[in-house]
Amino acid sequence: MNGEIFVFIETREGSIVDSSLEVLGKARLLADKADFNVGALLLGYNIRHLAKELICRGADVVHLVDDKRLEKYTALPYTKAIVKIVQNEKPDILILAATTTGRDLGPRIAARLRTGITADCTDLDIGDYVDPLTGEKFRNVLYQIRPAFGGEIMATIVTPRHRPQMATVRPGLFSIPPKDESRSGDVREWTIEFTDFETQSIEVLESKREQRKVDLKSAKIIVSGGRGAGPKGFELIKELAKILGGEVGASRAAVEAGWISYDHQVGLTGQTVKPEIYIACGISGAIQHIVGMKDSRIIIAINKDPNAPIFKIADYGIVGDLFVILPKLIERLKSQKP
Amino acid sequence: MPLDFNFTEEQEHLRRTIREFAEKFITPRVFEIEQKERIPNEIIREMARLGLFGVSIPEEYGGLYLDPITAGVIVEELARADLSCSTPVLYLVHTAWSYIAQKYGRKEFKEEILPLAAEGKLWIGIATTEPGAGSDLRSITTIAKKEGDEYVVNGEKAFISGVREALEQFEMGGGHLTLVKTAPEKGHRGMTMMFIPIRSPGIAIKYEKGWGRKGVSWASYKLDNVRVPEKYVIGNEGRGFYIAMEGFDYARALIATVCCAVAKRALELTMDYIKQRKVFGIPLAKFEGIQFPLAEHWARIEAAQLLAYKALWALKMEREGKMSRFEVSKIAAEAKMIAVLTAIRAIDDAMRWFGAFGYTEECPLTLAIKAVKSYEWAEGATDIMKIIVAREILGREFLPYR
Amino acid sequence: MNIIVLVKPVPDPKAPVRLKPDGTIDREKVPLTVNLYDKHAVEAAVRIKEKYGGKVIAISMAPPHAIEVLREALAMGVDDAILLSDKRLAGSDTLATSYALSQAIRKIGDFDLILCGMESTDGNTGHVGPEVAEFLGIPHVTYVERIEIRDRHVIVKRLVEGGYEILKVKLPALLTITNTANEPRIPTIRDVLKARRKTIIVWNVDDIGVDPNKVGLRGSPTRILKIEKVILKRKGKIFTEPDVDKVIESFLAELKKDGVSLVR
Repeated sequence: MNGEIFVFIETREGSIVDSSLEVLGKARLLADKADFNVGALLLGYNIRHLAKELICRGADVVHLVDDKRLEKYTALPYTKAIVKIVQNEKPDILILAATTTGRDLGPRIAARLRTGITADCTDLDIGDYVDPLTGEKFRNVLYQIRPAFGGEIMATIVTPRHRPQMATVRPGLFSIPPKDESRSGDVREWTIEFTDFETQSIEVLESKREQRKVDLKSAKIIVSGGRGAGPKGFELIKELAKILGGEVGASRAAVEAGWISYDHQVGLTGQTVKPEIYIACGISGAIQHIVGMKDSRIIIAINKDPNAPIFKIADYGIVGDLFVILPKLIERLKSQKP
Repeated sequence: MPLDFNFTEEQEHLRRTIREFAEKFITPRVFEIEQKERIPNEIIREMARLGLFGVSIPEEYGGLYLDPITAGVIVEELARADLSCSTPVLYLVHTAWSYIAQKYGRKEFKEEILPLAAEGKLWIGIATTEPGAGSDLRSITTIAKKEGDEYVVNGEKAFISGVREALEQFEMGGGHLTLVKTAPEKGHRGMTMMFIPIRSPGIAIKYEKGWGRKGVSWASYKLDNVRVPEKYVIGNEGRGFYIAMEGFDYARALIATVCCAVAKRALELTMDYIKQRKVFGIPLAKFEGIQFPLAEHWARIEAAQLLAYKALWALKMEREGKMSRFEVSKIAAEAKMIAVLTAIRAIDDAMRWFGAFGYTEECPLTLAIKAVKSYEWAEGATDIMKIIVAREILGREFLPYR
Repeated sequence: MNIIVLVKPVPDPKAPVRLKPDGTIDREKVPLTVNLYDKHAVEAAVRIKEKYGGKVIAISMAPPHAIEVLREALAMGVDDAILLSDKRLAGSDTLATSYALSQAIRKIGDFDLILCGMESTDGNTGHVGPEVAEFLGIPHVTYVERIEIRDRHVIVKRLVEGGYEILKVKLPALLTITNTANEPRIPTIRDVLKARRKTIIVWNVDDIGVDPNKVGLRGSPTRILKIEKVILKRKGKIFTEPDVDKVIESFLAELKKDGVSLVR
């Protein structure tokens, strides 16, 4: 066995946060590829019942700390607990989802352990590394892959000598692993000594999470409608967006026609967006719209007109009537969902 | 002439600051400014807060007293961000003519007016043109008669910028350095410059509708027994014509800078477009039929820009006593003449490359060309620029109208 | 209140990235500017000073020519600026950087609050803040949008996914500031001219008692294996079959082949 991959598990209101499961799934894949064990770090209060789910989803060991003082996340006690476990267990790798919690906690742990950490990775892999200065070869190290310089550069980073190798992983990119009830694993409970300084320096007074309003700028997927959509078209567009977990965007023509509010407008006189996937339905591709979405990673266009300029900047496109294409596409995608 | 084409660190820092302001506050509202024919009060207030109206005013009156080159860096950034030219015009007219006001104004006038001007609470413009006299300023007919410690002014001024702004948008109002005849029989030696507040009783205003630069108002007004206190005379009686010429040189140098900045920005926007727009499967930018004229326009604009900065530098040299009035006038006239011509041609071609979109009112280039064209006559017609240059290089004895 | 602001000079995001022939990033020719997010931190610090009194010191770890960037912070109202610059610091990752900055902060002396932007526009890690806090042994909170000063603590509003938290934090502490916290002021011409006349202190590794083995490339646990420029070329795979079911199948099959999943 090549070592252990630890995954930090975030919980909220008695259940596991999706992004932590995504990271667990990725850890499992890496572990299977390169013969590692997966350990899950489960911290909180009254959360021990979640250990079983973590094992079903791929953890070999769950390291549990159930303590009232960990009920709400704050940096110092969580760092103390995790560092203690890590110093005892000496995992090779420790990864967290790059949520607001992960990005707050990860670096503090890394600094305390004097190790390296890469933020917001879009992919992870296991491979070898040769130090160009000394010629030393390192086997089975974690490849921490992420974009830099505003997305113009893709960098692969490694932490050859320091342990654990740490990384935070961008949420929403990896899939949640299925539950396998037949899986078995261990649960190890830890008791941690906290100082007053650690438990009293930061106090959570109030916590409120609610339904998000229209947030195009951080949307990973945007389905957008244009002049060709009409109010009926937007109903289809909204449905498609819902299935894909994305937001709805619009061209200026659609907003001016009154089919959707200005918050959704993308383009020169609207917002500039940079999602992973931008699906333009019934949008011709006038330059005023294109400037608002041209940096999307993948552009998909659906339009009746084969000569529509949008096809010139699309990665994938379907020439067809959106009123015919969208319902079928929605149906096909619904059947794909787990 | 050992030359350094770099700006100072200080000028670069100011450039970045003004660029940040202009891109944030002005650029998003340029179309609104043109459509509503008005610069929003918020923008004028922010310009005042930054200190843009104190550029020509000495520190003892609360101003910054920046040198002309630095004043040019500021107007360049305003023009780059505002292709309608409304905000740069509001700034440059006040900058050029408040310079004249502080140089030649009487002490009581300066103490009263300059601190307000520096804070951006009062605006100073220029009024020389009349219905019957534009280029031929000697032929103006507005008369000012001395009565005790006041002048009584009668006449008419036409196509004056900033009237509405001075009336409505500046807290303490404003006025124009106005060219009048105090001794008509003496020709241009009988002309005097005086500051006439726009709120003075006896002024009847009629607004004109320009083709472009709509953000800054344009008006003609009759002066009917308008009383102007003696303390508002700028310089001495009889010196008005020469003082006006001096102010025009500063304005022209700033205008030349504006035209170049606008043209350059127009070319930059066009380059973004032609890199993406494909014709027959090839980006427009790859066709030599577009590249060659583009390269020429770019090089000519660069040359015009250098000449504009030379004119600003000449004004700085004059302040330091190192250059004569005539030399400065020559360079300023060269700069304005070349800048306007070059800019119009460049923007004209740029519009053409945008195709149909270049003809829409959504295209900022239509604003740009309208604005720049106004400088074919404003603050000195192109033909007058040519007369000035010819006069300086050939000699006064060759002046056509002597 | 004595506030320290960590300011990072970054390449101007509007300028294109250039790679040198050996594949590393060409940092020489790129114009530098204050990290946009740090501007919000500077603004927050200056506002606190204006309301409660005190002093704001900005500190940057950067090559010598970045000194002009600190002037932008001075123009915004920061009282003093320190540049930490040394060849031996080159190649530092976030751990090494945070160690060096924390040593410099120890030399500055007492402080009540350290502020920095929530991340930088070039690295986007957001790690230096929490790591500096760890080296200094003080509490930290990230993604702070609002700060209220109390006696020996602050009340902060922290942004989280889909909402916010209100936290009470004992001072001294480090906070990272979001870009929604405020609108950074544009300095007036007078502010700019005043800032130009201020002296910026420059410290090197020896001035702040840093162990050279813990900084620079040698002190950085992470290494770059490789960098690839991402060339955005649109694939242009357009499907035109008249039969609706067929065209959708072809479309989805192509997406699958390219590893693009629409549904998670």
